[in-house]
Amino acid sequence: MTATGLRAMLGVQWRTHRRGTLVWVLALIALMVGTAGSIAGLYNTPEKIHTYAQAVTAGDALVVINGRVEGIDSLGGIIADEFGFFAAFLLPLLGISLVALMTRSEEEAGRLEAVLAGRVARYVPVLAGLTIASAAIVVTTVAFALGLTAFGVPATRSILYAASLGTLAFVFAGFAALLAQVTLHSRGVYTWGLLILAGAYVLRGVGDVTKTWVTWLSPLGWAEKAAPFGDMRWWTLLIPLTVACLFAALAVLVAGRRDLGSALVGGGAGPARATSWLRSPIGLATAIHRASILAWLAGAVILAGTMGSLAQQFIDAVLGNPAMAAAFGVSGAQPVDEMVALTQLYIAIIATGFAVQAVGSLRGEETAGRLEMQLSGRLSRLRWLAAHGLVIVTGVVIIVLVSSVVLAAGMAWSMGTPVNLGLVLWAGAAYLPAELLVGGLALALFGLRPRAFPAAWGALASVTFIAFLGPGLKLPAWLLDLAPTTHIGSPPLGTVEAGQLVVLGAIAATLGVAGAVGFRRRGVPQS
Amino acid sequence: MTAPQPVIRAQGLTKTFGQVRALDGLDLEVTPGEVHGFLGPNGAGKSTTIRIVLGLIRASGGHVELFGRDPWRQAATLHERLAYVAGDVALWSGLTGGQCLDVLGATQGGLDEARRTALIERFELDPTKRIRDYSKGNRQKVALIAALAADAELLVLDEPTSGLDPLMEQAFQEVVRERRKDGCTVLLSSHILGEVEALADRVTIIRRGRTVTSGTLAELRRHTRTHVHAVTVDAPAGLADAPGVADYVSERLDGHADSRFTIDAAHLDDSVGRLHAARIHTLTVTPPSLDALFLRSYDGDAGPLDAGPLDASELGEPAEAAR
Ligand SMILES: Nc1ncnc2c1ncn2[C@@H]1O[C@H](COP(=O)(O)OP(=O)(O)OP(=O)(O)O)[C@@H](O)[C@H]1O
Ligand SMILES: [Mg+2]
Repeated sequence: MTATGLRAMLGVQWRTHRRGTLVWVLALIALMVGTAGSIAGLYNTPEKIHTYAQAVTAGDALVVINGRVEGIDSLGGIIADEFGFFAAFLLPLLGISLVALMTRSEEEAGRLEAVLAGRVARYVPVLAGLTIASAAIVVTTVAFALGLTAFGVPATRSILYAASLGTLAFVFAGFAALLAQVTLHSRGVYTWGLLILAGAYVLRGVGDVTKTWVTWLSPLGWAEKAAPFGDMRWWTLLIPLTVACLFAALAVLVAGRRDLGSALVGGGAGPARATSWLRSPIGLATAIHRASILAWLAGAVILAGTMGSLAQQFIDAVLGNPAMAAAFGVSGAQPVDEMVALTQLYIAIIATGFAVQAVGSLRGEETAGRLEMQLSGRLSRLRWLAAHGLVIVTGVVIIVLVSSVVLAAGMAWSMGTPVNLGLVLWAGAAYLPAELLVGGLALALFGLRPRAFPAAWGALASVTFIAFLGPGLKLPAWLLDLAPTTHIGSPPLGTVEAGQLVVLGAIAATLGVAGAVGFRRRGVPQS
Repeated sequence: MTAPQPVIRAQGLTKTFGQVRALDGLDLEVTPGEVHGFLGPNGAGKSTTIRIVLGLIRASGGHVELFGRDPWRQAATLHERLAYVAGDVALWSGLTGGQCLDVLGATQGGLDEARRTALIERFELDPTKRIRDYSKGNRQKVALIAALAADAELLVLDEPTSGLDPLMEQAFQEVVRERRKDGCTVLLSSHILGEVEALADRVTIIRRGRTVTSGTLAELRRHTRTHVHAVTVDAPAGLADAPGVADYVSERLDGHADSRFTIDAAHLDDSVGRLHAARIHTLTVTPPSLDALFLRSYDGDAGPLDAGPLDASELGEPAEAAR
């Protein structure tokens, strides 16, 4: 095969997507190396490392979440363990999103047509997308290995660990490239990619707890079994590499054979008329946000269900084991409340993620040109915005309440005793002002500085980082205070101050009003 | 007698996007009941003008009225009376074509049910298919049907037929004519000259954010010249100096007189009389070509059209058309 036009295509793809790619790669490197550095600072004696290792291997709860790290009794082992959860999602997501961006969404937008009309073979865009994604993954891997070595992890082990994460990203990049050929839309690539990732996570968890071969069924298991801080099985890297190449080759093959704009999986017929509900502004807003409400809700429910059903194990592990409790970032004195508080923080972040994404989809409506069409009717801008605001706030509330109920149910099942549902619900509801504050910030950006909307994602990432890793990394108080979640007071463990909630709510409302006023005054569409 | 109030009136509109000066003193006037063609090269500012007229974006300067009101302040109220097809049609990929029709119709205050049904049939649209499975042309049809089926006084169509096949283009023209007969006013931005020629009562041509010319097609045609190619038995007498004749060339070919010239429309009768006297063998009269007119207006640095009639050279080689 001669890749006609590959170089030209690489140029085009790189120029169009270099900013997004660079932001992704740099943010990931900064997060990983920064966190590794903080961990190295925190566990700076063999005793501390040993205590940590003792703690996390005491029960199964952490094994499910972070994986079973071989050689945990070392700095690298701790880093691998602390990273277990984040790396399992971030690296595959890196592969999936880069490939989806450079293949299917390009084709959907019709940009590929112009390119393919030139002298570019049909499979070249896929190949180019994979090449750039691979380069981004390699850069991330190398930077991570260097960072780990700099913080005192042995070089060969650092390289193997980074490589095991890099090959994990490769697998999902290849898989996404294949999905891009099979499904019609980039949304399909994300949905299926994340579903498979969730499946891989579950398989890895089951295999690690039961200590069986099931782990080997999961790409996350392959990375784990490389055992960079244990036996160093370099050969396991061959599995993800082979699988990734297979996926990629298959994707290139299919791309060369199918028609542009077509997919192997097509869609069926639907209703010929819209219901009067769908014709109303709220109905349409609901239709637009429904899929993402359900997706984020599913994530929150799975998390709440998992945590809830592991409640008894958590309590056993934490009770009377201060080191284990420290690994979770809790004190261990009131394990039930601590469990609820921890899970509610996760749920709050998920609900906030939904809010940011939903406001971002308003921006999507605008850039796609659909907003212009709607505002050319008798619907006023404020009513349009109000309808969406209402649906988004409802979505946030649904995510929080439903997953709180699931958490309470899971806990009751696991512990065999009734759980105070009201308490769990209240703990979830207390976070609403913080969630709405970040959503309000997103809305303010949408109304006042639509082009700067990506900053809302930056805010979400910062809040997430501070909320999860801040206390463990002993960040300064003013930094912790920047995240609205800090001010909620960690219910039901700590006390919630009504004053704080009111202040957060007032800031959220102010941001929302500022966004609405800005939106009413500005031109639509603003590119 | 007072002239009827224009549906759209824009005077000296300016609009800047950062450094880009998209509109630079643009004038546009659309009178009730007419189909108004709105033409200009890519990036001339057509879509920007339309968005200002609809109150979607605010002009940086100048004056704009829609139904005699300020579109920026009263957008939602004024929108009840119009329907709009945007330049880039974008719809919700998860909804079906029929659902999108109803949703768009609802934003415009409802569709005429009978017309909705008739148009779906006429444009051969399958309303049960999802938008993501439609071709570009079919997506365009959904937006078009929604606008054409609306009970609107004004249709604002920004390049409405991009992506339509010739048959559908034909259907579109018929429907627009029907809507006009119903009393609808239409602002039609287009790159398809044939479409404008077939539909528009008046046109406005803009370039680089400024109005180059505006008027009825007949007025614009008056600036252009008719090409004549005649083969006569005898040499036509006195044609070279006849009023209105230019570019006169005549030679003898196979025992006949072969003459070519251009003439302004007002003097056509006189020249044909002279040709007749010389006993016509074959005669080709090529009417003024709007294409040429538009091409000239679009072209780089040509001055405003009112500067004078067009040269024959600018109108292309007429003999090509005759053969
Ligand atoms: N939101 C915006 N921000 C910056 N520049 C813009 C914006 N909208 C339009 N422009 C610029 O204004 C000019 C006029 O654009 P406009 O879309 O009105 O042209 P048009 O006549 O509709 O062109 P076409 O025939 O290609 O549709 C162009 O130079 C364009 O780049
Ligand atoms: Mg345009």
